[in-house]
Amino acid sequence: MIEILKVDQLTKTYGKKGEKQYQALKGVTFSVEKGEFVGIMGASGSGKTTLLNILSTLDTPTSGSVLVNNQDITKLKKNKMADFRGKEIGFIFQDFNLLENLTNRENIALPLSLQNVKAREIGDKVEEIASRLGISQILDKYPGEISGGQKQRVASARALVHNPAILYGDEPTGALDSKSATELLETMKDLNKNDHVSILMVTHDPYSASYANRILFIKDGQIGKELKKDNKTGEEFYQEIIAELGRR
Amino acid sequence: MLWKLSLTGLKSRFKDYAVLFSGLTLASAIFYMFMAIATNPEFLKGALKISFQIVQLTFGFGIVLLSLITLVYIVYANSFLLSMRKKDYGMYMILGARNSKIGRLIFLETLVVGVLSLVIGELIGIVLTQGVSQLLISQLGLQIHKFVGFYIPAMLWTLLFFAILFFLAALWNRHKLVKTNVIQLLHEDQKPVKLRMNKTWKLIEAILGLGLLATGYWAMGNYVQLKTNSITIGFFTIVIGSFFVFDSFFTAMVNLLRKNKNFKYKKLNSFTLGQLKFRLTDYTRILSVISLLFALALGAITVGLNFNGVADQSLDANYYDVVIYKRTPEVNRDLKKVSVKSINGLDYKYVLNKKTKDTGGLIYVSKNEIKNANLKYQHSYQKDGQIKYKTLSISTDQLKPGAKHYSEEKIQLAWLTPYLSADVKMVSQKQYNAIKVKEGHTELLQVNNFRSNFNNIEKLQNAAVKPFLAGNKYADMMISNNKTAGYRLVSSIASGFEFMGFFLGLAFLAMLASTLMFKVLSGANSDKPRYKMLWKIGTQGKLLKSSIRKEIGVLFALPAVLGIIDVLFGLQFFKSLLPNPYDKIWIPFGIFLALYLIYYLITVKLYEGIVLQKNR
Repeated sequence: MIEILKVDQLTKTYGKKGEKQYQALKGVTFSVEKGEFVGIMGASGSGKTTLLNILSTLDTPTSGSVLVNNQDITKLKKNKMADFRGKEIGFIFQDFNLLENLTNRENIALPLSLQNVKAREIGDKVEEIASRLGISQILDKYPGEISGGQKQRVASARALVHNPAILYGDEPTGALDSKSATELLETMKDLNKNDHVSILMVTHDPYSASYANRILFIKDGQIGKELKKDNKTGEEFYQEIIAELGRR
Repeated sequence: MLWKLSLTGLKSRFKDYAVLFSGLTLASAIFYMFMAIATNPEFLKGALKISFQIVQLTFGFGIVLLSLITLVYIVYANSFLLSMRKKDYGMYMILGARNSKIGRLIFLETLVVGVLSLVIGELIGIVLTQGVSQLLISQLGLQIHKFVGFYIPAMLWTLLFFAILFFLAALWNRHKLVKTNVIQLLHEDQKPVKLRMNKTWKLIEAILGLGLLATGYWAMGNYVQLKTNSITIGFFTIVIGSFFVFDSFFTAMVNLLRKNKNFKYKKLNSFTLGQLKFRLTDYTRILSVISLLFALALGAITVGLNFNGVADQSLDANYYDVVIYKRTPEVNRDLKKVSVKSINGLDYKYVLNKKTKDTGGLIYVSKNEIKNANLKYQHSYQKDGQIKYKTLSISTDQLKPGAKHYSEEKIQLAWLTPYLSADVKMVSQKQYNAIKVKEGHTELLQVNNFRSNFNNIEKLQNAAVKPFLAGNKYADMMISNNKTAGYRLVSSIASGFEFMGFFLGLAFLAMLASTLMFKVLSGANSDKPRYKMLWKIGTQGKLLKSSIRKEIGVLFALPAVLGIIDVLFGLQFFKSLLPNPYDKIWIPFGIFLALYLIYYLITVKLYEGIVLQKNR
């Protein structure tokens, strides 16, 4: 198996030396294999947002390494970091983060235009991913004119249009109603299973987490327990997660 | 507590407020300067009453224009101020502050900002007035020694004007904030944006706008036929036309670019275009106002600096530089300081008519004298609404009754003698010799370096006139009816216009550019999440910066381009007033655009400071 993401002894300390310091991450180590769907669960303040920020080069660690596709992203220069995010990472955010003054089509095309892809190729790729996610009909509408569930699909299309090495989800269902949330999670599962998209999803919602193959629990800046879905059904895995959460 | 809250509010956003301060300070400083110069009676006591009254009038006109733009400016400056503080106010309200209390807080803040900038502005204004009035005094040749920039009535007027403005602004701010509810205050940046529009109407609007502008430009060029109507027509068509063009034409251009996929899908172009489209819809009114103000400001500077040409043109009105009726020791002394190019002379005999004492007597000149002296004068005529001059010779033919230039040449001859209003009669040498009065002799000088040696030449002319003034009914006419006096008058008016045009132009520019700056900056907070998101999905910092530069650049450039076109056509109108309004046009344009560019750069820097992530 190929490791798409390898995190080793990652620490993050806020505050300067000599001042009051706070350690958000205390040596986190784990890896994600290609085509895996991994969930990271943790309460507020557990360090999951810090972790995701570092994994996506939005923040730098105090020590440790993060390898994406065998490349240590913590050693990248500022501009390279931006390029790295643009090429290797797809993002889905809780609040969609679509640009409301661009059409959905333009929103989805954005990562490709940033990489100097030719206009014709961009058009084709956008159509392709849009039909995969079932949003071809709303491409020429503005984000303000579609529902929350549709917005998150557009955001997913934007996250996937450039074939990133890994898709990061930051509470992607957080702002959705339960029906839209289920639809989105089904889509993610489908993408993972059939298109072999590697996914790392941060969430505190057990239902969302039950769609992952493997769940890492993070507490006080450290990875604690790890749950694997294996051959369990979604419902069984969900119960297991609830039980684990209750135990903590 | 209220005071503390509002003061800490000001302190925590000092950098943003600094911009606001400097704009308001400049506005009040320039307002004070205009006021002090326009109303100060010290100037009226000077020697050149008339010319200074004209200068004061033009400054008065400047004050009216300045008040208008200040009003617009303060409205936008305030909306910027509010946009920065909205979240704070929302927070106070959630914590349970009453509406009335928040209202008072806003009121206080607006007033504090106003009073501070007013006080500093008046101090700067005093210094500025001191410098400018000294320049003005030396340009006008006034004999004022005790003038100081400190003038209480002007201070009070400025105080009153700005106090009223700020009071109104404070009331308006209070009203606006108290009206909106807490939720809106807290989520100001999440307002949905309306982007759809009716294409047919937009097309009609675009054509109509361009048509109106064309009509306005045509009217400015055809002032000869349209007279004052050209201003009325020009004003309405250009104002409405500008609005239509901004409301439709420029948006249509952006849409056209958005249709071009190769352009759109290149780097951040689609984002920049999206921002622009959104902005243009939102900015229609302010951009049209700014393009008009831009035209006014640039026009004021261009026309003002061009008035020097009028002074030069006034030199054409008289052929002889200095006219000396009689040598006195004073004349001889002053003559030494003047480099004479050529001297001509006129001999005449003046007979006082006892019956018609009031209208003067009769000047006799001999035919031979006219033939030999070959006297010249400047004949004036109108062409294209402008006064032009042609040099003609006084001839024996024309001095016969019934000739085309008979009366004109008689008057010209009389003006070469000290008896300005007397009639002239040409007689034969024999008849001339028979007249038993003392012959008068006038020396007619053409000199070198009229402009550079003007002060000495003026002194000489005044010395030459002096012996004839006492008891002379026509003393005023005598003082003013010569080349030096004409030049002095016109050049002093011209420099008045020049100063006014220049400072008014600068004041306008400062305010319109800051108005635009505040408008752009007040939207910056709601743009923040967009740039953050772009950064997250992998946009390099330099790409974000270039997008910002382009977007703000277009917003600054559009009104500037339209304003420049307005000025280029509008200058047509001044053809009747100025010899060549397009002369050296690159100087005012250059100064103006350079200053405008500085404003643009400041806006970009401040905007970047607000929307871009700090060093990660």
